[in-house]
Amino acid sequence: MIELKDVTKVYYKGTPKEVKAVDGISLEIAKGEMVVLKGPSGSGKTTLLTLIGCLSRPTRGRVLVAGKDTSRLQEPFLTFHRRMHVGFVFQQYHLIPDISVYENILLPLYPLDMTSQEMEERVEDALRKLRIKGKEAYRAKDLSGGEQQRVAIARALVTDPEIILADEPTANLDTHLSRDFLKIMDGLKEEGKTIVIASHDPLVYEHKGVDRVIEMRDGRLVGCS
Amino acid sequence: MSKERHKHILSFSITSLLRRKGKNLSIFLIYTLMVFLLGSVVFFVSAIKREAATTLKGAPDIVVQQIRAGRHDLIPTEYMEKVRTIRGVTKVIPRVWGYYFDGPTQSNYTIIGMDGESYEAFRDRIPFLSPEEAPIGNGKVLIGKGIARSRGLKRGGHFYLLRSDGGLKTFEVSGIFSGRSSLLTHDLIVMSEKDVRELFLIPARYSIDLAVYVRNKEEIETIARKIGEVLPGTRAVIKEQITKSYETVFGWRSGLVFTALLGTVLAFAILSWDKATGLSADERKEIGILKALGWRIEDILEMKFWEGLTISLTAFLAGIILAYIHIFFFGSYLVAPAIKGWSVLYPPFNLNPYMDAGEVFMVFFITVVPYTVATLIPVWRSSTIDPDEVIRGI
Repeated sequence: MIELKDVTKVYYKGTPKEVKAVDGISLEIAKGEMVVLKGPSGSGKTTLLTLIGCLSRPTRGRVLVAGKDTSRLQEPFLTFHRRMHVGFVFQQYHLIPDISVYENILLPLYPLDMTSQEMEERVEDALRKLRIKGKEAYRAKDLSGGEQQRVAIARALVTDPEIILADEPTANLDTHLSRDFLKIMDGLKEEGKTIVIASHDPLVYEHKGVDRVIEMRDGRLVGCS
Repeated sequence: MSKERHKHILSFSITSLLRRKGKNLSIFLIYTLMVFLLGSVVFFVSAIKREAATTLKGAPDIVVQQIRAGRHDLIPTEYMEKVRTIRGVTKVIPRVWGYYFDGPTQSNYTIIGMDGESYEAFRDRIPFLSPEEAPIGNGKVLIGKGIARSRGLKRGGHFYLLRSDGGLKTFEVSGIFSGRSSLLTHDLIVMSEKDVRELFLIPARYSIDLAVYVRNKEEIETIARKIGEVLPGTRAVIKEQITKSYETVFGWRSGLVFTALLGTVLAFAILSWDKATGLSADERKEIGILKALGWRIEDILEMKFWEGLTISLTAFLAGIILAYIHIFFFGSYLVAPAIKGWSVLYPPFNLNPYMDAGEVFMVFFITVVPYTVATLIPVWRSSTIDPDEVIRGI
C-alpha cells in the first residue's frame, strides 16, 4: 500500500538553517496494517507522515502510495491523490476555529462535486461514527480537546480514504480519551483501512491493535518491532 | 455536477467573509469612500459637460461682436444686412443682453432680451417652461431660481433693477425657471428686448452682438472668415470655439481635482492593497489546511476570488450609488466648489441625473479589477507551496 524508497527530506535547503528531517528511509506498509512511528520530538516522524500523506515532496527518493509514485506527481495530481486516498489527523487538529463542527467536517467534500444531499449523508455518518452527534452546530473552538480530536478524525474519514495518518493524536488527551481514540482506530482497521500513527506515547505504541512499531531517531529508522 | 462544487465554494467564501468581519468591513469602507470620491468627480464633470453641450446646442453658429479699442462694444444693427448677403447664412438675429451686478445680494445676473422668434427658440430649449405661464414684455420677466431665492420672489411678485442712468425700473415675475435648468438659468432674467434696451440704455440701432445661423455646418469657418472681411473691426466667434473653451475649462478643473484627489486615492489604494494582499498567519495556515484536505489551487483561488469580488463589487456599487446621490440630489457639495469655481451662479446647483456607462466602467476598472487581482496574488503564492510548509510556516 505504502512504499518509501531511500527517502530524504531536507528543509531550508541551501541556507544556513538547512536541516535533514528524514534521511534515506526505506519502508513498506501493507494494506490494512496499523503502524506506529515512534521516536522523540525532532526524530522526523511528522515529516515522514507528511511525505506519506503527500503534504510534501521528498528532496530525494521515491514515495509510492496506492501504487502511484507520488514524488513524481505534479501538483494537481498530487492534490487529487491526497483527496482520494489519504485522511490526515494533525497533532494540533488544525480545525478552522470560527466555523461549525458540521462545516469543518464538510471541508474535504467541497471540491468533490457532490450534491448537498450526498455531502449531508457523509457528514451525518461521520458524526455518528465518531459519537459527536449533537455537537455539529458548535464552533470548533468551543469544543474540548477530545471533541476537537473527534471532529478532526471525522473530517479525515468523511471522504472514506484508504489511508489514515495521525500525528501525535494523544498528545493533548488524557488516558481515557486516548483509549477512546485507539478504539476508533481499531474500528477503522477492522474496516480495512491502513493506519499510520506518529507517537511517542507508550499507550499508543503498546496498544494491542498495533501491528508494527517503527522507531526513528535523527531522521533515520533505528528499529522495528 | 461541477456547478455543485462552485456553489459550495461560493457558500464557503461568504462564511469566510463573515468570519473576518473587522478586516473586511474596514476594506469595504475604504473602498466605498475611494469609489465615492472618484465617482463623484467623474459624474460631476460628465454631467456638467453634458449640460454645457445641451446649452450650446441651440446656440448660434457664429456670434459677431464689434471690437473697439480691443474691447467688446455695441454693434450697429445695419451690419445684419451685410452678413445676410454672405452665401450660406440663413438667419441673423441682433441680440441684446448684459450682466447686472446686484449690490444687496452681491450677485451677478445675466439679462437677456428676447422677442418673437428668439423667445420661441429659447422656449424650445427650456421645455419645462410653458408659454401660458411665462409671457414676457411690458415689464414682465422670467427669472432663475437663484434670483428668486436671493430676492425672496414668487410668481406675480415685483422687483426693481437700477437702470444705467441710475433710475429704477420695476419688473413683474411672470415665471420662475425650474431647478432642472440651473446651469442655464440660475442667474438669468429673460425680458423683452425693449425692456433690456431701457434698462441698459442701448440705442435702438445697436445691439450687443449678432447671432448668425448657417445652413451647412461645414462652412461655418469660411463664413466666419468672410464676415471678418466684410465687417472689419468685428470678431466672429464660432460655436466650436465656445464648446472648446467649455471643455478646456471643465477638463482643466477636473484634472486639477483629480490631481488633488490622487494623494488621497493613492493613500487609500496603498492601505487597501496592504489589507488585501497581506495574508495573516492564520489565513496562510488555513490555505495549507484546505490544501491538505484536498482542495486544489484553483478551488482556493476561486474562494478568494469570490471573497475579493464580493467586497470590491459591493463597495463599488455602494460608492457609485452614493456618488450618484451626492452629485445629482445633494448639490455635489464635496466636488462642485473645486470644479465649478468659475461660477457667477450661486449654489445650490442641481444637475440633471446622467450616467455614462463608459465612465462607470472606467471607475470599475481602476477599482474592482486591481483589488480582485491583488487579493489573488498572495493566495496563489501560498497555495502553490506544499501544504506541510504552509501549515508549519516554513
